Amino acid sequence: MSYTLIISEVRRGIFEERNLDSIGIAHRLKKPVYILFPDGQYPINEKWVDIMIKAQIKEQEFSMPKNICLLLEKVFNKFGMPENILLTHSSSGTECAAYIAGYFRLPVITDINGMDEEISAFYKSFYSDKVYGEFKITKKVPSVLTVRSGTFRALIEERANCAIQEVVEGIKIDEKRVFIEFVEEEKADIDITKAEFLISVGRGIGNKDELPSYEELTGLLNATLSCSRPVVDKMWLPKARQVGQSGKTVRPKVYLAMGISGAFQHIAGMKDSDCIIAVNKDPEAPIFQYAHYGIVGDMHKVRDKLKELLKE
Amino acid sequence: MDIIVLTKRVPVTQEEELKIAPDGSSVDLSRVPFRMNDWDSYAVEEAVRLCERHGGTITSVSIGDMESDEVLRRAIAMGAKDGCLIESNQTLLDPFVRANIFKNFIEKEQIPFNVILGGVQSEDDQFGTTCGILAAMLGLPFASMVIGIDEVKDNNLILRRELEGGIQERISIELPCVLSIQSGINEPRYVSIMGIRKASKVERRYFKAEKYIEEDSSNLISVTKLFYPPKKEGAIILHGEIEDICRQLIGILKEKGVLK
Repeated sequence: MSYTLIISEVRRGIFEERNLDSIGIAHRLKKPVYILFPDGQYPINEKWVDIMIKAQIKEQEFSMPKNICLLLEKVFNKFGMPENILLTHSSSGTECAAYIAGYFRLPVITDINGMDEEISAFYKSFYSDKVYGEFKITKKVPSVLTVRSGTFRALIEERANCAIQEVVEGIKIDEKRVFIEFVEEEKADIDITKAEFLISVGRGIGNKDELPSYEELTGLLNATLSCSRPVVDKMWLPKARQVGQSGKTVRPKVYLAMGISGAFQHIAGMKDSDCIIAVNKDPEAPIFQYAHYGIVGDMHKVRDKLKELLKE
Repeated sequence: MDIIVLTKRVPVTQEEELKIAPDGSSVDLSRVPFRMNDWDSYAVEEAVRLCERHGGTITSVSIGDMESDEVLRRAIAMGAKDGCLIESNQTLLDPFVRANIFKNFIEKEQIPFNVILGGVQSEDDQFGTTCGILAAMLGLPFASMVIGIDEVKDNNLILRRELEGGIQERISIELPCVLSIQSGINEPRYVSIMGIRKASKVERRYFKAEKYIEEDSSNLISVTKLFYPPKKEGAIILHGEIEDICRQLIGILKEKGVLK
């Protein structure tokens, strides 16, 4: 009997919330759901899955690509081959998914955000979320999928019975890649998560020389300046100002996004703001799907006119 | 330290309106500019910095049509010694197939390396898996989302991977290895048109992709159609002249209580 295998993402004792989307899509796949996790106590609802497999391996070793492949060999030996192997679409989830695909020569699709079970197709985005593709697996082998955060968790349904507990014993830990420590971000001068009003600038700003004028605007509006990833990558603003999956998650009263197209990693960090206002010159920019108010136009012109009106 | 850098030519679509063909088979990219994948430019820069400090040479490798020669010229202008184009006129969407070609190419042509670098993902299909699949196929250790290389030792590297929420993890990885480089790790150097022109005098090598495709490594996945993302309710768009729009915006800020 085939099954769906979820490889959980756990870090520092926490069962990441993103795992819920793996469980959600697993329920929609209608096969028995097995979940694999390392040694430790994780608050996984026993009525969400059919079999819980504890691997006798420490958390930090569990999420290493080679180790997870060695563990999977044991899982496959004990339980047979799954139909799908699900991971979170995250730093470690995607890293392991790629390695598993290469190691076992399996098809891989990352960043799944939808599916059509009638025709066994999965959806993933292209070109910064402007186009979606419908994918099918062309070989009858287990497929490796990473699931986008926030997409399937609503589909979780409790089952009548509690999961059966299983164990797979440890493996010979890979010595070629070794965890040393977690590195925390440096303390910042300003905590953007505490701000009520954020003005966030993105790729559309175009030039570092434009920044002082946005700082002036935030001053006039008594707002705080934040940004999306490209601005930090160019080192125009410090990492502590970055909103998004790899930066901060914010929930201000007003989030004014200027020149931000709205990659899902950014949306993940600001979608719960009370009021989102987006300024972008591309009317098809994904951010307009999440914003409450939108201005289609040049961010610099909007900035300049706002400043002019505020100075009046 | 000899380094192979995987580079890809991609369309720049962030600010373009994209049209899908009526049959859903393709996106019209005829009027979209192309360039080196953003993440790959960080990988090339990191390779150049490693070689500047520790010696060695860089070979840039691309899969694509002849137009992809342009990313090799850019890599050479940034500091790569050599460029290899694995020519394919077909769009090879399946990352498994791409990784398999890279693997067979590197082995058959005996391209020397201690490290293979690539970008975390490509801007067009955003799979983010080529480097990882390649590493596993070569039997090498792999780390993705590399945001800092702190130490280069004889047998290993000490580096940092980016995780979520501003946290990183420091790991040790044995050489040879495959790393995928995250944007923001460095500041890719500026390349002038003169620099590109000079680089185009450096000979690149051309190979045919068919030579490296194994019989049993055909596509494991296929894209059956492309479509526009489902629309949500969406934003209320403010209309009018710019002054009028900005007055409406100020009104909203006052209504939400963040402006007096």
